Amino acid sequence: MESVDQEPFIIGPYDLVLVTGATGFIGPAVVESLVRHGFRNVRAFTRPSSDLTRLEATIAHHQGSAHIEIVKGNLISREDCVAATRGAAMIIHLARSGDKSFPEAFLNSVVTTRNLLESSLLHRSLRRFVNVSSFAVYSNRHTSRWRPLDESSPVEERVESCGDAYRFAKVKQDDIVSDYGRKFGIPHVTVRPGSVYGPGKVAITGRVGIDTFGLFLHLGGSNTIPLTYVDNCADAIVLAGVTAGVEGEVFNVVDDDLPSSRKFLYLYKRHVRRFASIYVPHFLSYVLCSLWENYSNWSEGQLPPAFNRWRWHAEWKKTRYSNEKLKLKLGWAPRVPTPEGLARYFESCRGARHA
Amino acid sequence: MLRVAIVGCGKIADSHAAQIKRIADCEIVGVCDREPLMARQLAERFHVGHHGGELTELLTVARPDVVHITTPPGSHFEVTKLCLEQGCHVYVEKPFTLNAADARTLLALADEKGLKATVGHDDQFTHVTRRMRELIESGYLGGSPVHMESYYCYDLGDSAYARALLSDKQHWVRRLPGRLLHNIISHGIARIAEYLSSDNVTVVAHGFVSPLLRSMGETEIVDELRVIISEEERTTAYFTFSSQMRPTLHQFRIYGPQNGLELDHDHETLVRLRGKSFKSYAEKFIPPVLLASQLFGNLATNMRKFLANDFHMKSGMKCLIESFYRSIVEGTPPPIPYREILLTARIMDVIFAQLDVQRAQTQGQVRASCLATATPTSSECLS
Repeated sequence: MESVDQEPFIIGPYDLVLVTGATGFIGPAVVESLVRHGFRNVRAFTRPSSDLTRLEATIAHHQGSAHIEIVKGNLISREDCVAATRGAAMIIHLARSGDKSFPEAFLNSVVTTRNLLESSLLHRSLRRFVNVSSFAVYSNRHTSRWRPLDESSPVEERVESCGDAYRFAKVKQDDIVSDYGRKFGIPHVTVRPGSVYGPGKVAITGRVGIDTFGLFLHLGGSNTIPLTYVDNCADAIVLAGVTAGVEGEVFNVVDDDLPSSRKFLYLYKRHVRRFASIYVPHFLSYVLCSLWENYSNWSEGQLPPAFNRWRWHAEWKKTRYSNEKLKLKLGWAPRVPTPEGLARYFESCRGARHA
Repeated sequence: MLRVAIVGCGKIADSHAAQIKRIADCEIVGVCDREPLMARQLAERFHVGHHGGELTELLTVARPDVVHITTPPGSHFEVTKLCLEQGCHVYVEKPFTLNAADARTLLALADEKGLKATVGHDDQFTHVTRRMRELIESGYLGGSPVHMESYYCYDLGDSAYARALLSDKQHWVRRLPGRLLHNIISHGIARIAEYLSSDNVTVVAHGFVSPLLRSMGETEIVDELRVIISEEERTTAYFTFSSQMRPTLHQFRIYGPQNGLELDHDHETLVRLRGKSFKSYAEKFIPPVLLASQLFGNLATNMRKFLANDFHMKSGMKCLIESFYRSIVEGTPPPIPYREILLTARIMDVIFAQLDVQRAQTQGQVRASCLATATPTSSECLS
């Protein structure tokens, strides 16, 4: 593992790193990764209502070797953002919205990001803003099956028509980071993780299938699932933040040796629990999504556009993924191999079932 | 073509915009929010020409005929007053204002200016509520209502709104006189107010912080409320708000001298409660069959409306907006009588005043208990 003593990183070991969304699924792993990379001064920003258990365990683990401060607040509040960003040399913006309504997703993604960016301008201490985005922003409509989805793939342009509040908010969040980078010279990188998994996450990613209708519909089939184990993803985020010479770059994060949807489902059933599932072939899932979309449009939203061709292309189209840029420019390598990551994940799912 | 504007671009504004888009002969000409980014996202998604952060600019540039006010309730009075003064009709989200005095001022201003106002009690315009209203108007109850029961519950455990509210001591809902109740109960109170014939009502309210919220350290948010409303000892009503009881009911029952009706807002069902009894054992067997057939009839109606593409989740809002616009264009009375808006506000005023007194008494008792024991060791005593 590289450390701050050996590598030409853009910040020093005692420079302050602000991590927003520090109690989320990735947050504690990012704090852990920062300390592993030799950074000793971390400010973890959380909502007042957040469960601190995992973060506090991380802090306890590094007591004495790193200063990790918990700051509670709301990123919608400019005052809280000003206080949180004071003195920060790097901001890792993980906080995300799980809201399903467009205004709330937008408020909790875009307005909060704008508040952080403006606050950082006041302090003039920021050396890099790490914008943690998502694969959801990619259109994937015109990507051929033979070309991998990578950082050069187009972002959805008609995102307001997708019917997906999360995707809409993430695209707009990326836009505002780029705008502030251009207008005010805020140095930034964008990291787009695939499907982050690991202990603590119980649900099966929607890229494998959905159980909305009481029976698990397996939609992924032979598709590769763009998994990234939470610790590997955290390493990628930290490296994107501290590595010199990557300003303005975008990095997709997926692990090596990715399983197919079918294999993932087989392993899940074998190691966690057995349940009934039915495979829906790609052409059929495309037709069903298309019908749902048309009905939703025709009925003026009597059924919300939860399933549509945008979603099909983003989640269920056969796609290949690449982590070449991540390895080449950041020297990243997955710390946890996929078989081991899956074993830890399944074990945690089993534990959650019996809890 | 009515020119429509929306002030306040949060979650409920989305529902307004979506329903306005479904109505003929109107156009959203502008949106505004104190946070201009929020106005921009709404404008982009609904293809609205003007967006910004200034209300005065919206009114002068977009020149709307009607303004939908979907800001937090604390700003309803000022925003509505400005819109009325600028010659716009107003559709104000619930609660109409923070108190009855403000409501009276605004409705008087609307009358003075020859403009119309309504409040977002859209639950009273769903298919099932309209069916109930028709039955009552046809005399099904057999006279004036004798008693009503209105349940309007809320699941605090399953909502981003509740999480934000409980975690944020500065949340705008905490600054409302009735806090959480103020933002929610007007739907359930308005259902009762609609069927009270005079303004002379007596209100007895009892509220408390649920054990669940108390265990989370919450001391301000009253989330359990029971109210008795009595109109000149002629018509009575019970109102229940609960965050803890399950199922999370949204029901209304109204009983007349001959028959009653039971409306379930969640299931969109209306059941006729027959006043007459059958003889002997027939009373045990026939009514369940009649009840089952009524529920089956409700199912058939709901399915028919769904297949006819007339069963949207916000169908009540569309109906209310349409009715309001029609009243503007045709010069007819607005869909919700001003008397009902005022009575709802007055009942809520009394409820919150009584809860304030209860809170003061409780705090006084806690202080007295602390003094008596002279061992103020618990956090409750110290606070």
